[in-house]
Amino acid sequence: MSSWFYAIGENELIDGGKMPLSLEGNKILLIRQEGVFYAISNKCPHMGCPLSRGILDGHVIKCPCHDWQFDIRDGEFLSAREIKIPVFGTKVSDGRVFVKIYGAVQ
Amino acid sequence: MKKVVMYTLSTCPWCMRAKKFFREHDIPFEYIDYDKADRETQQAIREDCLSHGEQMSFPFVKIGDDVVVGYNLNKYAQLLGL
Amino acid sequence: MRSYWVCDGEKMDTGKRKEQLKVMYQRVVDPLGYKFSPDEEIVDFLLEQEVQLEKEKGNPFCPCQGLTGERDHDMKLVCPCIPFHREHYDAMKRCWCGLFVHKSVDDPYELQQISLKDLEESKNKKKKERP
Repeated sequence: MSSWFYAIGENELIDGGKMPLSLEGNKILLIRQEGVFYAISNKCPHMGCPLSRGILDGHVIKCPCHDWQFDIRDGEFLSAREIKIPVFGTKVSDGRVFVKIYGAVQ
Repeated sequence: MKKVVMYTLSTCPWCMRAKKFFREHDIPFEYIDYDKADRETQQAIREDCLSHGEQMSFPFVKIGDDVVVGYNLNKYAQLLGL
Repeated sequence: MRSYWVCDGEKMDTGKRKEQLKVMYQRVVDPLGYKFSPDEEIVDFLLEQEVQLEKEKGNPFCPCQGLTGERDHDMKLVCPCIPFHREHYDAMKRCWCGLFVHKSVDDPYELQQISLKDLEESKNKKKKERP
């Protein structure tokens, strides 16, 4: 069971920007890159550091604590593909960005 | 008797066990704890490890002209003829 | 760098931090096919060292490998460092310090530390043996 939740207005995030959000109790990092919105968990799976403070380079985000790098498209940890950060679906409708949250009922 | 020199870390249990092995066998040895050493010594240890094709994985044990990286009692004993 | 050692404005005691690290590490090493060593004494000792290293240096580094002060080098030694030394550790069925072993391992004392040079040499030997 999943539902779409309103996150932000499309114009609230510039390209190459990132914004931490809390949606239905999920700490989410919304990223806009090359015109596409990506939503990933804001917690590094290593020690829980907030990825929102990390550095975004293309489609790769580097955790500020220990430099673990993740692909924002599929959540994969670049040094060990078995480790992933949760990735959420996104859609833009009428200038509004929505994030798909599993296990939430609207 | 071959000279035994070790690079170790003060936090590494395998380094402690290696030291214990040499003490128990009455083998005199010298050691430097890399983490407690000054910068110059640390740099020299790093270069020595790299020159042997190794990263700084401890214990780094020199027995005569041979090098054993890691806690390996069989290799220590073999090189010392124990 | 923000320190995660301070929690709720109070310094956590070593025992609590060890337990916290254990929970976090378990989540990381499980999908990689590793588990904590069945040798509880060595696990406890190594975690204790890591907590001390975290207090001193800001991160729970591997207690058995040398730091250089260069970020690129040292960040690959923050526990669990398995992802950055996968081939080496998989060959030994353990990480260098022995905090983690392959899930299939019951007796950690059957495992040996294999030096990087020995690993490279055995790889080259295998290559030569292949027709």
